[in-house]
Amino acid sequence: MELFRVSSDAYGREVLQGLSWDLLWVFAGAGAVLIVAHALYRALFAPKRQ
Amino acid sequence: MSEPVRAEPGASAPKVFRHALVDRVFHWVTAVCVLTLLATAFLPILGVKFDWVNIHWITGVVLTIAVLFHLVRSLLWQSVRTMWIGGADVREALAILRTTLRRSGTPPKPGKYSFAQKLVHLFFAAVVLTAIVTGGLMLAHVETPWWRPNAYLLSDASWGVVYVLHDFAALSLITMVITHVYFALRPEKLLFTRAMLRGWITRREYEEHHDPNRWQVDR
Repeated sequence: MELFRVSSDAYGREVLQGLSWDLLWVFAGAGAVLIVAHALYRALFAPKRQ
Repeated sequence: MSEPVRAEPGASAPKVFRHALVDRVFHWVTAVCVLTLLATAFLPILGVKFDWVNIHWITGVVLTIAVLFHLVRSLLWQSVRTMWIGGADVREALAILRTTLRRSGTPPKPGKYSFAQKLVHLFFAAVVLTAIVTGGLMLAHVETPWWRPNAYLLSDASWGVVYVLHDFAALSLITMVITHVYFALRPEKLLFTRAMLRGWITRREYEEHHDPNRWQVDR
């Protein structure tokens, strides 16, 4: 998986165009992982407030 | 700073005022802007083709105005310390961690905002400000009523850094919005979501969820 998007300028030099859009799924997946992790934490480990 | 308790007409329990109308409007304007910006940024990448550029930059300008308004209001009319992460917040976070690891005892109650809420605010502030500053620079590429596109404002290398920062902020917002909505919908957090809609929590919720020494309201 590429981290960056690059293109070439008129002289053939590499020009940075931004982050790779493949990372979209990494960041969306991170959100899903955080949700599952927190839900498990709340269900199994979190102390109950009195 | 103590905040007022209001008895709502027809309600039996007094309500503790948490968010002023102007702050709630700011929150929801920001939410609509961020969702619009994410949709106009990523839907075309996912194959949904439409003329997204004008919607994107105009929404970005609206978000910038809203954030500038919030910055001025929070710096001049509110207390920066309200959202500042101080020693008491760090102690609160460590105490929650200790309670969690021991799996016994009662976690401490926060003031008006918990350590987690302040941390989320800090992350959103950093990411949204990054998106605004880099997006503002990228407006130089766009035909607007006020100027012609100028790709030579920065060098290619500098533009590359601007694009990477803008993309990183946008991608980070996906994770942050997903988790923010999740927490807003969790049953034990619904009182905060209601407060962001209607402005108040009940006196009982205040006593259950907050340390009255750290968030003082009128008796």
